[in-house]
Amino acid sequence: MSVLTDLIYAGSDAVAGLTEGLVNDAIKQYGAEKTIAFPDTAYFLPTIYAATGVKVKTLGDLPACVDVLKSLISKKEDLGEALNAGLATAVGAEIIEALKYVGKEDPYAEETGIGFVPDPVIRSLGVPLVTGDIPGVAVVLGKSEDASAAADIVKDYQSKGILTFLVGDIIDQIADAGVKMGLEFRVVPLGHDVTAVTHAVTVAIRAALIFGNITPGDLPGLLAYTKERVLAFVNTFGALSEIVVSAGAGAIALGFPVIVDIDLAENQVPGALESVLDHKETVKHSLNLRGIKIKLKEIPIPVAFAAAFEGEIIRKNDMHAEFSSQKNPAFELVAMRDENEIEDHKLTLVGPDIDGEAPVGLPLGIVVEIYGAKMQPDFEPVIERKLHHWLNYIEGVMHTGQRNLIHIRINKEAYEKGLRLKDLAEALYCMVMDEFDSVVDKCQVTLYTEKDTVQQLLDTVAVPRYDARDERLNSMNDESCDTFYSCILCQSFAPSHVCIITPERLGLCGAVSWLDAKATKELTPLGPCQPVPKEGCLDETKGIYTEVNKAVETASQGMVHNVTLYSLMQDPMTSCGCFECICGIEPFSNGVIIVNREYKGMTPLGMSFGELASMTGGGVQTPGFMGHGRHFISSKKFISAEGGVERIVWMPKELKDAVGDKLNATAKELYGIDNFIDMIGDETITEDPEALLNFLTEKGHPVLNLAPLM
Amino acid sequence: MPFKSTPQPFKAAINAVTIGVGDKAMTIGGENVLPLYTFDAPIANPPKVGFEITDTGLELAIPGIAALYEGTSTIGERAKKAETLEGVDFISLKFAGADPNGENKSAEDCAAVAKEVASATSLPIVVEGCGNAEKDAALFEKVADALADRNVLFMSAKEENYKAVGAAVGLAYGQKVGAESSVDINLAKQLNVLLSQLGVKNENIAINPGSAAVGYGFEYVASTMERIKAAALSQNDTSLQMPIVTPVASEAFNVKEAVVSEEDMPEWGPAEQRGIDMEISTAVSAITYGSNAVILRHPESVKTVSSFVKAMTE
Repeated sequence: MSVLTDLIYAGSDAVAGLTEGLVNDAIKQYGAEKTIAFPDTAYFLPTIYAATGVKVKTLGDLPACVDVLKSLISKKEDLGEALNAGLATAVGAEIIEALKYVGKEDPYAEETGIGFVPDPVIRSLGVPLVTGDIPGVAVVLGKSEDASAAADIVKDYQSKGILTFLVGDIIDQIADAGVKMGLEFRVVPLGHDVTAVTHAVTVAIRAALIFGNITPGDLPGLLAYTKERVLAFVNTFGALSEIVVSAGAGAIALGFPVIVDIDLAENQVPGALESVLDHKETVKHSLNLRGIKIKLKEIPIPVAFAAAFEGEIIRKNDMHAEFSSQKNPAFELVAMRDENEIEDHKLTLVGPDIDGEAPVGLPLGIVVEIYGAKMQPDFEPVIERKLHHWLNYIEGVMHTGQRNLIHIRINKEAYEKGLRLKDLAEALYCMVMDEFDSVVDKCQVTLYTEKDTVQQLLDTVAVPRYDARDERLNSMNDESCDTFYSCILCQSFAPSHVCIITPERLGLCGAVSWLDAKATKELTPLGPCQPVPKEGCLDETKGIYTEVNKAVETASQGMVHNVTLYSLMQDPMTSCGCFECICGIEPFSNGVIIVNREYKGMTPLGMSFGELASMTGGGVQTPGFMGHGRHFISSKKFISAEGGVERIVWMPKELKDAVGDKLNATAKELYGIDNFIDMIGDETITEDPEALLNFLTEKGHPVLNLAPLM
Repeated sequence: MPFKSTPQPFKAAINAVTIGVGDKAMTIGGENVLPLYTFDAPIANPPKVGFEITDTGLELAIPGIAALYEGTSTIGERAKKAETLEGVDFISLKFAGADPNGENKSAEDCAAVAKEVASATSLPIVVEGCGNAEKDAALFEKVADALADRNVLFMSAKEENYKAVGAAVGLAYGQKVGAESSVDINLAKQLNVLLSQLGVKNENIAINPGSAAVGYGFEYVASTMERIKAAALSQNDTSLQMPIVTPVASEAFNVKEAVVSEEDMPEWGPAEQRGIDMEISTAVSAITYGSNAVILRHPESVKTVSSFVKAMTE
């Protein structure tokens, strides 16, 4: 047998023997009819009640429980079995503690510890536990070789809002160190006997019964709840007795990792039982092991931080410092890292700060490194785009641009209030952890201000990363992905509208790309973007999928039944009203015109953007008319069912200029046409359909050879 | 050709949620037809009418309400009077005074007030907060404890505080949770799903998907309620089958038509009557579009709206 399981079984045996003896003594002394109960609880002996459904009311009920607990000690050489023996210890400890209350009003009257935690306290603790206001629960037990180190650990938990239960002599050590104790201080001494640990266990168990609706007797349900929802862990100090080891096994069975401060060497069980010899590491390691994240409530910087400052303009004369890609190398980058590569909340400035005479002009490299179990490289640009907003939220800071074309100014007032570069890092850290906590577990921010270093990082780290992202964006297509996303962000005013977002067709608002939708789903699982499996293809050219139709039908509450992804004429996708562009058929040429929201003039259809919008929006399907985003125009999927971009015969000049290069590239790739954009009419050429037809004929526009649209 | 009526009840139904205890307990929801469609199937539980009492007593400024309360000095006495109103089904106790930007009454004080009201009336109780998400969460926890045996509905849990309110009210004390969202079926649905993921059972949830006085964007409210009922009944969407409770009082009595004095606008007639008219029109509209309960401020409105419900459902 391994040393570990040996120890567990020895401890469980000892507790079982002790329990049996005490039960028999108590029955002899008081009789089997004598009531046994913890004060102020509706859950009897909670561990026994939750695990088995048995309601222990009298001493006579106990012998049966002792038999059950003995049966849990199988002595089999198997860690899972040994952990069950640990549960037996928990049950034994509970019985021993409950016996203390037999014949005594308050057995803990003479103790620093409070003993059993009554139900009302759990109800009041439950709410902050559920909301995350209490981010976790620490059970600290034993006696530390180094009292001040143990006190520092408890203080650290206290400052993080973690609820700490103390068991054993460590209570006195912590009290002597001057740590304030009591429920309101979130440091709660339970008792000096090791069995008092049961009072922490029953808190977790009653939380499962009260807040988790766990049915008493549903042991698997109970264990799943405590493991997943009760973010507790155990720290032991000093040498381990076999009883402590066995109780620890019980904790592990409930899903609570145990961190000890002695060397267990090969007896460690990764993730469940680990040694941390350096007390300075105990807190960090414990929180990590249990996946507890601490949120900062306020951003500790010397100036205000709010969305209200976003529009702040800083003029040259008010400026203290400036970072501009036009004058110095400057960039910002969010990069995903492995867990061990970075340290959470490490903020570093490499190079000079902004002290000195205004105007200070420096190079700047902002590197935000992120690790997260659920993080994906695709989220990097989504988070990176937020840097712009967050830096602008800082009072006295202005930010424009992105990637390696940025411009940041800090005004004199903010500088005088004490704002330095590290505060920028702090703000970014806090916001990453706040807004992206579902995907980010660790974040480290480094600012570089030495010219050579910034230039080197820009060339070797940032630019290759940007390029790789662009490469990925360009290579992403509807064929290679297996999931589309629905987006119903606009349903508040267009109740039956649903966008189906694919890698090559972004939302019609232009603001939600496939990557954005994917990230939105991860960050807000129940939010507006939901995955739609790319399954049930009925027509590849038109883009008809049974799963897409199903999703549209559900999300539109039955108003829209079928949509195609790539057709303008058959079941075109609906529009809310916030489309960047509208595309509509132009009957004279058999082509389509596209008009963008900003264009105020008339189109060859005889309708302005507003008039077209009124017949396209509102979640209705109007074959021949469709709203879409600007980026969709140069997509190979743009009305590909009707022949694709070669149908485009007219666009406002501004739109032509904006999408020209990309559209030319697409036309070249699809049809081998050079400078396709020059064949497309605009308002400077004509707004009259017949004149447009003449223009198209003159240019030899390919649409004239295509089959009729209708 | 003679008209042949074909009843069209749905296979799905709105959840029946019981509020209060004992003989006077009331159940809202339960119907398997569109609002007031008695010709399709009997309405399981006719819409209920509640009367609002505020801890600050601000409504006493309205003469008709002051008259009702004549001779009373405590909120408990007021609750006793309110119980005698014609057509009243429940009491809605609103803690306007808890607002941190106003009197900022402590949660403990509010719990004491709640106890006083609860001991004065055996009618079901709905508790309305002050609207401040953080304060409401703290407030509801104390009041849920104080009224642990009264099966109270708390209005409301919002996106900002649903975890705290859901955990305290719904889980710790097993009371009913009102889920409030702002005039958007998807937000309403999302909040319901979040609450049930938290562990609050669907049958313990009522919803307020937003409210507005008639003429003040009520058409958005109407459309949202209509779509919620349609999804709940025709698509059997279980995350939208919660009964709707609409607080009408604070909306109707806060609009220009109810607020402007008769001196300023003599051609409009007495201000009090205008408030009553706004309240009745809004409440009747809300019930027509799917409210399973409305909360009203004026005794006259309670009388009229309850007789409307009677006429439509009997």
